Amino acid sequence: MARVSGVFLIAGAMAMSCALSACKRSPNSFTSGPTVLAPLGGGAHALPPAAAAPADDGNWTMPGKNYAATRFSALNQITPANVGKLALAFTFSTGTNKGFEAPPLVVNGTMYVITPFPNYLYALDLTKPGAPTKWMFKPKPAAASQGVACCDVVNRGAVYDNGRIFFNTLDGQTFAVDANSGQMVWRTQLGNIQRGETITMAPLVADGKVLVGNSGGEMGVRGWIAALDEGSGKLLWKAYNTGPDKEVLLGSRFHPFYAMDQGKDLGVKSWPPDAWKIGGATTWGWLSYDPETHLVYYGTSNPGPWNPDQRPGDNKWSSGVFARDIGTGQAVWFYQSSPHDLFDHDDVNEIILADIPWGKGRRPVLFRPGRNGFFYVIDRRNGQVLSATPYGYINSYKGVDLRTGRIIPAPDKEPKPGRVTRDICPASPGAKDWNPAAFSPVTGLVYIAHINLCQDEGHSEANYISGTPYVGADVKMYAGPGGNRGVFTAWDPIRRRPVFEIKEDLPLWSPALATGGNVVFYGTMDGWFKAIDARNGKLLWKFKAGSGIIGQPISYKGPDGRQYIAVICGVGGWAGAIVSANMDPSDPTGALGFVNAVKDLPLKTTAGGILYVFALPR
Amino acid sequence: MSGRRYARAALLPLLLGACSYQHYQSDFGAAATEDRQFLTLFWIFMAVCGVMYALVIAFLIAGLAHRRTEAEANVVETGRHHRSHPLMRTTLIGWTALIGVGLAALAIASFFADRSMAEAATNEKLSITLTGNQWWWDIVYNSNDASKTMRTANELHLPVGVPTRILLNSADVIHSLWIPSLGGKQDLIPGRQNDITFVPQKIGIFRGQCAEFCGTQHAHMALVVVVQSYPDFIKWWDHQLQPAVAPRTPLQLAGYQYVTNGPCSACHNIGGTPASGTVAPDLTHLASRKSLAASTMPMSEGNLYGWVEDPQSLKPGVKMPTIGLEPDKLHAVVAYLETLK
Amino acid sequence: MSSRFRVRLLLFGAGAMMPGACDREEHHSRAKPVGETVPGGESPDTIFPGTSSAPPLDARAKLYDNNANAIAMGQTLYTQMNCVGCHSHGGGGMGPPLMDDEWRYGGRIDQIATTIAEGRPNGMPAWRGKLTEHQIWDLAAYVRSLSGLPSKDAVSSRTESMSTGTPQTLTPHGDIKNSDTAQQ
Repeated sequence: MARVSGVFLIAGAMAMSCALSACKRSPNSFTSGPTVLAPLGGGAHALPPAAAAPADDGNWTMPGKNYAATRFSALNQITPANVGKLALAFTFSTGTNKGFEAPPLVVNGTMYVITPFPNYLYALDLTKPGAPTKWMFKPKPAAASQGVACCDVVNRGAVYDNGRIFFNTLDGQTFAVDANSGQMVWRTQLGNIQRGETITMAPLVADGKVLVGNSGGEMGVRGWIAALDEGSGKLLWKAYNTGPDKEVLLGSRFHPFYAMDQGKDLGVKSWPPDAWKIGGATTWGWLSYDPETHLVYYGTSNPGPWNPDQRPGDNKWSSGVFARDIGTGQAVWFYQSSPHDLFDHDDVNEIILADIPWGKGRRPVLFRPGRNGFFYVIDRRNGQVLSATPYGYINSYKGVDLRTGRIIPAPDKEPKPGRVTRDICPASPGAKDWNPAAFSPVTGLVYIAHINLCQDEGHSEANYISGTPYVGADVKMYAGPGGNRGVFTAWDPIRRRPVFEIKEDLPLWSPALATGGNVVFYGTMDGWFKAIDARNGKLLWKFKAGSGIIGQPISYKGPDGRQYIAVICGVGGWAGAIVSANMDPSDPTGALGFVNAVKDLPLKTTAGGILYVFALPR
Repeated sequence: MSGRRYARAALLPLLLGACSYQHYQSDFGAAATEDRQFLTLFWIFMAVCGVMYALVIAFLIAGLAHRRTEAEANVVETGRHHRSHPLMRTTLIGWTALIGVGLAALAIASFFADRSMAEAATNEKLSITLTGNQWWWDIVYNSNDASKTMRTANELHLPVGVPTRILLNSADVIHSLWIPSLGGKQDLIPGRQNDITFVPQKIGIFRGQCAEFCGTQHAHMALVVVVQSYPDFIKWWDHQLQPAVAPRTPLQLAGYQYVTNGPCSACHNIGGTPASGTVAPDLTHLASRKSLAASTMPMSEGNLYGWVEDPQSLKPGVKMPTIGLEPDKLHAVVAYLETLK
Repeated sequence: MSSRFRVRLLLFGAGAMMPGACDREEHHSRAKPVGETVPGGESPDTIFPGTSSAPPLDARAKLYDNNANAIAMGQTLYTQMNCVGCHSHGGGGMGPPLMDDEWRYGGRIDQIATTIAEGRPNGMPAWRGKLTEHQIWDLAAYVRSLSGLPSKDAVSSRTESMSTGTPQTLTPHGDIKNSDTAQQ
């Protein structure tokens, strides 16, 4: 009798817990509530280094929040208990309808918004109700630059420093605008659209310099990173990412950890003759900075063209991570994640600086949720890979050999001339593309909004004509195992495993925001802005925006002392090009194969560009 | 037969023999191990079949000349052939045995020839990737050192005595590589990579031909094959790796400007210049080649003028368009192209 | 049937096939030398002030429109000249889609040829000087085939690359709508 009643008790408890937690399947069969995969580990967490992640003053001055790229706001007024009451405080229409990837910046009561092409810069006065516009600045970039931007005419953000706003325009200029008056202070032309160069990245401003890199790995561009003087805009140094050591700024300080990256003039020797001049390896992603060592960390893009048979060799220095001295640009180390890249697995994803418990003390590392599907933990002093763990489904690589540092491709997934290779996972956008993860020092977890896509790929001879694409591949992407195209993972970097996972129907192309109140925010491509519990992924609140969300959400302290959450919607980017570029869904190879994966997107969202700011009711 | 006819008949073998003088494109060229293996097999077949043929003719003549006796009158109907002549039975048994031995000899010879040709592909020292296009040959010399990879077109250089494996791709339709003096045919099939191996044994210049109908200009898709000593070959390879010669005179400079900025650079590659097209033959060392347009014409200044000005009248249907250059531009372009040695 | 009747039937059939058989495939391999004869700036507009109708189609249009050889050559050039990099196989991308029925700058073959030769604002490169007039018209003929405009016996039935859906010979016959939607 007791046993039977015990069974009923257990069954009842299970039924109740099911009802309470988010076990319910949503109407869409691929979006599901969080699957808890591991307990939240106790013990020492990883922590961002104090110099690179100073105490939070309630502002948001750069897209990554700080030089360590934590994207973590220490504000904690909004908690899982009260986020359900989050309400709209004000909105603002940016007047653009292309992919919106940039966050708004907030500095002492003024909000700055940088739009995709035509790259308007707005300043909104947060001290007045409705946040009226203080000024707007129009850089007027060349319209033809839209024809050489591979993946929508996005802009990944501006940076505030020392009374000025710094940002890049699509046609390859860098601007410095006075933050109070909106007047241009200086501008410098760095990129050349005739060669297919554009600039979409957010600059890094540190040590009196503005660091800028180019885009165009699909256009046969030669990649570089440059430092401009913050005061005058003059070029201080420029390091290429391919070519002879002299131009890549590899000198006496350069000590790569692994043998495969050591040698003289590898930027020439690991390519067929002259191929490095049009070899890609651009700098279109994220830069991080360690003020203690004065090292800038950034990744390089894929080598060009996508067809690997046209570029035998390791193709240095593409698809890898550089550490450079910010004063001189001289490289200190380099690690190539994907030598002789086969699948357009760039390495430009965000680089989160952290100090992890190691033995008795702490070891300074980088966290990198890589494009190729591996979560790398790399010692940031010398480039040694401490671990490379898959955080998505991978069948195109067998693993990373930690002795040699070299990734091991799976031979049956290697593209062959004239043939289509099927079921390559992860697809070209990888297990995660540009959209950065957030790292919470409170929970110690890295919050990764990413994708689950596989692809078929066929290669053909790419013809180089400057100013036109240099690709040589036809791609068709589709959902990976499980059928869900997006997934949100909370990753424990110390124990190297996911803590919880949320499946999403559409790919997740938005960055994540972590807050001190243990609420994490992210957006979906059909416009749902979601708040989840940082500890277990439970969905706490959501809001349907007018367009899909691919932009960085931020959290700031308003002039009234309240915590605000802001995000700008506007679907687009590589994943949303079918909507923002009004593409035809009947061609599955459109947008380098992405159209096949998101044929349903035009029915689920439309183009737009609206800022939403939320706060708890007073 | 009359005397004149006798004379003509006697000339025939001489004429047939004359074909073999053209050793640059002849199955009898014996310039590589593969061709020699083929020739050995050929002569074995010739010998066996020749002997059998001679015997058959001899028996036929004997049969015609022999006068039938009474006893042999109904030999066939009554089935008593062996009784028509004492030797008949022995002869028939011997003849059957001869056929058996002959066929066995041919089968064994053919088996071993096939096997050795197939085995040659496993220990190559040089690897070349040959891509067939309509109607030219794209040749890439592969190397373990990526920066020594070299691309050229329409002229294949091979070192003597070195096993060379040629990987065969096609960019559009089915072609077939056939260098008679070196070996047999192998198809270039789109979507599949075939290969063929040669071990050249004779230094010289040979001619290859596309052997699978591939479009309008299939007949003008030939390949010049130069077999050199190993040091000469390495010297040639190193020379081909050099970037194109810089223009020196104003006329050459004008030609350079037009070639690198105009339509030529949309398709052609000239190493060391902004022209980096990949869909047409590599021109970096165009003037060092022996022929133009996949052996449509020998390389000469006049042919170069004609080809650049109007390729469609020399090789109608070819993918290179007739631009219709004005005379000044034509002089400049040819002046520049001639420097690309 | 008797053998004599069969022979006559065969001869009659052969004779009937001959007259119309050669017209479709006109192979203009040399075309007219370019010099000053370039696609003369066909406007994409539909308002021509002071006139009562749009100007007539360029005389060269009928040499290339519905010409199987031109469409086949255009298909090769479409990949080689990297049109596929911006427009995919008609779906668009950096550039607008070419397989739908919206034409920003006009969908007549001479308007498309002008677009290719002159370029357009917002990023279409200008190919004059890089491609010959003949190549530009071939490309324009192929671009029209992406939206099902030419007759089905002229279009290419197979793609040279990975399959991108229904072959052109099976898609419905398209037409150019009135709205040349200029979206920017």
